[in-house]
Order: sequence, then C-alpha cells, then structure tokens
Amino acid sequence: MAGRGKLIAVIGDEDTCTGFLLGGIGELNKNRKPNFLVVEKDTSITEIEETFKSFLTRNDIGIILINQFIAEMIRHAIDAHMQSIPAVLEIPSKEHPYDASKDSILRRAKGMFSAEDFR
Amino acid sequence: MGLDPASLRLDQQLLHFMDQLEILEEKRQKLNTLIEDGWFNISKARYSMGNKQVSALQYASEMEPLVHVYASGSENGEAEFKCERKGDQAEEPEGSETVETIGPTDGGLRRRVNIKKYENIKEKVASKDECEKEPQLNTKNEKSPCQYQDPLKWFGILVPQNLKQAQAAFKEVITLAAEISTLQSAIVKTRLEMQTQMKDKQKMASELKE
Repeated sequence: MAGRGKLIAVIGDEDTCTGFLLGGIGELNKNRKPNFLVVEKDTSITEIEETFKSFLTRNDIGIILINQFIAEMIRHAIDAHMQSIPAVLEIPSKEHPYDASKDSILRRAKGMFSAEDFR
Repeated sequence: MGLDPASLRLDQQLLHFMDQLEILEEKRQKLNTLIEDGWFNISKARYSMGNKQVSALQYASEMEPLVHVYASGSENGEAEFKCERKGDQAEEPEGSETVETIGPTDGGLRRRVNIKKYENIKEKVASKDECEKEPQLNTKNEKSPCQYQDPLKWFGILVPQNLKQAQAAFKEVITLAAEISTLQSAIVKTRLEMQTQMKDKQKMASELKE
C-alpha cells in the first residue's frame, strides 16, 4: 500500500449522500470544500460537471460514487475519464434502479465483442 | 489439429474475463440490495423523527472522514483499492465510555438538586465528594475532540434504531464499493490485454495468408 489514504467522494441525491456520510466518508477540508455534492432539483448540470471534474483533479480522492441518473447527465465527462484512479462507480438511486447497460465500464466491456474490436 | 498458443491464451483470458464479469455482477447485486436497505431505513427514521430531521440540513459544519481508501496503481494501469476504517478501534471504547458516564453524571446532578433542597438535613458528605468527582470526569469527556466524529450524532443523541441500521448498511456499501472499484479496474485491464492479443493474432493470420 503506497501513500496516504484517499477519500471517497459522492455525487448523489440527498438520501444517497446522507447514507454515505453516515457511513463516515464526509470531509470538509481546510478550504471548506466538501467531498460530496447533494444534487437537488435546482442543481444545474454545469455545477454537477464542474464538481465531478474538480473531484477528478483532486489527488486526495480515490473513488467517486455517482448516482447513475446523474452520471447520465454528464456521460461525456465520465466516458472521457480513462485513468484508474480515481475510480468512478455508478450506483442506483431511489427513483432510478441500476441499469448495467448504461454503466460506462460495462459498456466498454461489452464493446469487446463489437465489430470494431475485430478490425 | 491443435489450436495455436495465441488462440489458447486468448481463450483462457476470455474465460477469466467472463469470471470477473460474473463476480462483478454478484457484488453489484449485493451493493444494490444494501443501498436499498439503507434508504429504506433512512426513510423509516425520517418517518419516526420527522420529515426535516433527516436531511442535508443536519450535516455537521466540521467533518472528518472515518474511512480512507488506499489506492495502489500498478504499471499496467490496474488499481487496487483497500478500505480502512479509522474509527473502528477508537469508536467502540468511546461508545462504551459515554454509556458509562451518562448514567452516573445524571445521578450526580439529581443528587446535587437534592442536596440543595435538603441542605438543612446535612447528610452524606461522602456522596458530595462523589458528585464533585463525577462532573470532573464528565467535563473531561466533553472536551474530547472526537464528539463530532460519529455522523450519527448529527441527527441527535437518541436516534432511532433504523438510522443505526442505515449506517451499518452504508458502511458495508463503502467496503463493497472499494472491492467493486478494484474489480472494475481489473476488468478494464483484462479487456485491454485481450484487445492487443486479438490484434496480434489478426496480424499473424494476415501475414500467414500473404
């Protein structure tokens, strides 16, 4: 195991964030920047995307958990992320059950058997 | 007629890839079930505590993470995540301390009131000493900086059992999330390896044709 322990970040609806914060992942750093974003009805896609990108650039974050329906809003940003750290994990939300066919990783794995791979 | 070694290797890797996907699906299902349990318990707690009592408004202004993830990346791009909970060893003794101290200090305060009421009776000097000692212990505990660390306390001192159950479920989800992240990384790596091997094989096949 190398280096310091990293954080787990969450982008999700209120209940998802509350649950994970109860689990003990929450942090407010010296600059009062949290490692979570509660997405509400009035949260703009730009704000979500900016937060996601800021989590990607922070080197103290190891895993980003994101509700799948929110991931759908910023799919291009998630697909563009190719590094293994931080890992992006799509999780279900209350109103939107998890759909494996939408998951970035599984779509990449599925792509393994597409015609493009045989070219 | 036997298969060429490249094809055999590719077949083995494909089987390994399928196994990894199967494990991922299993873990995903477990994760989804646990998250659902967590939400259900949060909703139950909200029902018993009140609508506004379990929301983002209760989050503490000071937060310290109790869980850390140790990420180790290898040269081939595969990452391994290990979850470590900081409070596991420290929390339990703390919890037991609070249970012990809350009882006696409450008793001490009650006795104090009684002493004031029955000042003229002048009884139990020794019990007075006990009362003096107990609040001292209490103040020591109040000063401890770990009080805000258990997120359960953001929602009150006497929280419903459901909220504790939700916390337990999400703790398990966090551990599982680290495992799934490791697995996802391994899947991506296997996929890349297979792609390069497949390209090599095709190259070899086209060379043989020529």
